[in-house]
Amino acid sequence: MKKIEEINDEIREVLLEEGAEGIYKCYQCGKCTSICPWYQVDLYDFPVYRFSLETAMGMVASSEDKNELAQEIDKIYRCVGCEACVDQCPHGIDTPKILRAAKRLLVDFGSYPETLKSTVQKIKNVGNPFGEPIENRADWAKESGVPQFQEEMDYLFFPCCLPAYDPRNQKVARATAGILQQAEISFGILGTKEHCCGEVVRRIGAEQVFTQVCKANIKEFTTSGVTKVLVSSPHCFTTFKNEYPEFGADFETLHITQFLSKLIDEGAIKPAKEFNKKVVYHDPCTLGRKNGIYEEPRNILKSIPGLELLEVEDFNRNLSVCCGAGSGGLWMEWDKDERIVNVRLKQLIDTGADIIAVACPYCLQMFEETLKSMNSEIQVMDVTEILYEAL
Amino acid sequence: MKKTGVFVCHCGKNISSTVNIDQVVEEIGKNPNVTVCRDYKYMCSEPGQNLITETIKENKLERVVVACCTPSLHEETFRKAAESTGMNRYFLEIANIREQCSWVHSDMNKATPKAISLINSVVGKINLNNSLEPIKVPVTQKALVIGGGIAGIQAALDIANSGYKVTLVEKNPSIGGHMAQLSETFPTLDCSQCILTPKMVEAGKHENIELLTYSEVEDVSGNIGNFKVKIRRKAAYVDHDKCTGCGDCTEKCPTKVLSEFDEGLGKRKAIYSPFPQAVPNKPVIDKDNCLYFRFNGKCGICQKTCLLEAIDFTQQDRFIEDEFGAIILATGYDTYPKEKFREYGADKYLDVITGLQFERMVSASGPTEGEILRPSDQKIPKRVAFISCVGSRDPEHHMPYCSKICCMYNAKHAHLYKHQVPDGEAIVFTIDVRTAGKGYEEFFTRIKDHDNVLYVRGKPARVIKKGDKLVVWSYNTLTGRQLKLEVDMVVLATAIVPTAEAVVLSNKLRIQTDENGFFSEIHPKLRPVESMVPGFLLAGCCHSPKDIPDTVAQASAAASKALQMFSQPELSLDPQIAFVDPDVCSGCKLCVPVCPYEARIFNEKKRIVEVKEALCVGCGSCITACPSGATQQKNLQDLQMATMMEALLGS
Repeated sequence: MKKIEEINDEIREVLLEEGAEGIYKCYQCGKCTSICPWYQVDLYDFPVYRFSLETAMGMVASSEDKNELAQEIDKIYRCVGCEACVDQCPHGIDTPKILRAAKRLLVDFGSYPETLKSTVQKIKNVGNPFGEPIENRADWAKESGVPQFQEEMDYLFFPCCLPAYDPRNQKVARATAGILQQAEISFGILGTKEHCCGEVVRRIGAEQVFTQVCKANIKEFTTSGVTKVLVSSPHCFTTFKNEYPEFGADFETLHITQFLSKLIDEGAIKPAKEFNKKVVYHDPCTLGRKNGIYEEPRNILKSIPGLELLEVEDFNRNLSVCCGAGSGGLWMEWDKDERIVNVRLKQLIDTGADIIAVACPYCLQMFEETLKSMNSEIQVMDVTEILYEAL
Repeated sequence: MKKTGVFVCHCGKNISSTVNIDQVVEEIGKNPNVTVCRDYKYMCSEPGQNLITETIKENKLERVVVACCTPSLHEETFRKAAESTGMNRYFLEIANIREQCSWVHSDMNKATPKAISLINSVVGKINLNNSLEPIKVPVTQKALVIGGGIAGIQAALDIANSGYKVTLVEKNPSIGGHMAQLSETFPTLDCSQCILTPKMVEAGKHENIELLTYSEVEDVSGNIGNFKVKIRRKAAYVDHDKCTGCGDCTEKCPTKVLSEFDEGLGKRKAIYSPFPQAVPNKPVIDKDNCLYFRFNGKCGICQKTCLLEAIDFTQQDRFIEDEFGAIILATGYDTYPKEKFREYGADKYLDVITGLQFERMVSASGPTEGEILRPSDQKIPKRVAFISCVGSRDPEHHMPYCSKICCMYNAKHAHLYKHQVPDGEAIVFTIDVRTAGKGYEEFFTRIKDHDNVLYVRGKPARVIKKGDKLVVWSYNTLTGRQLKLEVDMVVLATAIVPTAEAVVLSNKLRIQTDENGFFSEIHPKLRPVESMVPGFLLAGCCHSPKDIPDTVAQASAAASKALQMFSQPELSLDPQIAFVDPDVCSGCKLCVPVCPYEARIFNEKKRIVEVKEALCVGCGSCITACPSGATQQKNLQDLQMATMMEALLGS
């Protein structure tokens, strides 16, 4: 049967209430679509430019046919929130935010991907996306002798759920703590008292769960007397810095690369050991495009003797390509040939580097997992791990 | 108390929908200073004006307040009407209850009392107005045109042909501007040089035109009718009185640098004339690149070559001062720097060029003598992508406006390309195609149809190099499919922006610009060629992006505005300016440096400051600076201000 469009103003109004903005500014140029990482995935077509118009028409997730609706939902959750489209849109239209409005509706109705439901549930119940017991949150720090945060300390180190629980990422947390200890920084962790920052649940559309963890963290930080926070993850960084203040947070947040770059500039840490490798730096979307931090991680790598820093010439800085893990992408199970991470890894491998340097636990996890099934010698390391080795 | 009449305009519904007119009339009628208060739907209409004049006569009114729109729209209309009854024009004033009241409020209960206060404040003030006469100043019947592109040339020729003197100042060594760079012009495909050069030659030889190329305006003082202008004539290091333009020096010069005229695609010498048809066709030395200047007198080959001994390395910049009645700004445009488009590789790929570079490529006088050869390897590109709106219509990163000419020149470029490379393919990427202009849509349709030009609706996001090809990443928003297109060359339609010189001038001359740096006109519909500063007129792309027909039309319009000024023996200036009470002024001179218009002079004999009436614009700076109150504004004296404040704030 041929399809006839209708304007569904009810859906449109709800989407506008849920935060869809700027939809009428779109002139349908499609630049968003060809900058989107999905554009580079041959087997999946993702016409980003239609979401504004479809929202204005009230045509998002509006199908009455079950199969069609399932396809629409699948499409909405394809967005990894990398904001490449926002960066290039002539009108700055925030399509991930438009889609988040739709996701909030879908979460309210319980109509969203099962794997994400489980992630949301775990964060809601135990404050981390893995369902690990909250008592184990500080286990990574046991051997390193990282103290519990006390009010008189200068910094809270907040390592994100991945470095707290995931064995590979725990190494990053330990390396970071090691550097801070060597630089004699006064810092501690909240360990069992901290929750996931909530970034991922918010991007998935589970606003209530986000509010819950956000308020719990703010309360804990406030009672513990935290004024400055160092974070490993750009996702924690952007959430604390740009989103928590709306809920009453009043503390300064620094990404670990900002902090370490400054320590290097000031001479407080001096990488002395040679690190004779070719290293390509991968700009994480949330650190780079979203927060404009491009130089600090590079500055750290450049300070390490022997290290040869490479660039993905066509796809670096604001033109970097997402690893595919954002907005719940880490937990999505897309077909093996339909993954953004393959595209990005190929670009990184093609530089001829020995090591991919990252500054985000999501990117690290995504690359590590994917490389297991790929025939490549390339290794993935966090910037702090490389720095720690060079000290 | 003077007999005062108040006339309240409804302005259709513009005022009456938020201001209760009946209530206004009733309340104003209660003001003991008001003899009569009337209202009318359109006070500016003929019956409205008649209502005013009849009421003035009937009631023998001595003062009139019209409560209506802004004085910049209809003050003149109503003053003329009042004058026709024999009243002094400055006994009529406007209370602005539209822009300052009805348009900015929505609550009638609040807007109505505000309108009443506004009117009462003017009623109180006008009672103390004095009868004034306009200041008459003589007009210097000579125009200055800044910028020697097609706009400046046309304006200068129109004025010169009407029998008045013009000085045409151009910063480059030749007049001609961007039009001289173009190959053929849309929609007629006239050769640009062929239609431009006769005008250039005419301007160069005209007895009424003084051509000052390689020159810049340094400073302007004075006022409409009588500007004093200082012009810098940059040292050319060539005596143009001796030089015959034979070109021997250029031929022998050993230094080659990228040619600005060829948009960096070709080379020129350090001693050069920008293009063969240049006017004047005499060379200048580019000091920054000349070996003689760079290495302390080494080289000097041009000097040895010139048999006429015209090369003069000792030449210095010279300054000339002159007086003008009107100044026409025709400073043209620049193209937005392509290096900013990292996503298109425009900062690193030679074969990503701009529309203006493509013009040079297809011009017979260009670096490839008209052959379309891509810069990286001088091969004929078999597939060329043209990308529209590069930097235009992009408020988030670049320019918010439409650059207006790109859609048309893209069509023209596609045609010129297909004409030369019939087996090649031209693909134009667009968002919309805008063809508003005489014969434009027809041209666009013809090009597509005759030349099989493919139009793809979509703005590419990336241009990526792959081997010796460039891959354009786009989405075809009409077919709904991804398009990754391998091409040999990419042409970017970069936005049109005001020149860097225009920005400097606007600061120097205090001429207002819009948020994008284009000179602002005084009224967007009814006075489109006059700037906000009296006596400065606008022509061409310094005002907004324009094609050649619009530029020429505006240039002629600006010329006619100048001629209108010159046709009167003297100009009438607003007398509502500052004056000094000689009995109160202590001669402290605080006001002198404060005046931005150099309108205040200290009289050594009388030991007081006086106002040069022709220069004063009534800005009021001196009044705030004066510690004794000796300086006052005519018809806006301290007592009048106090009266107004009282009415507005309640006594």
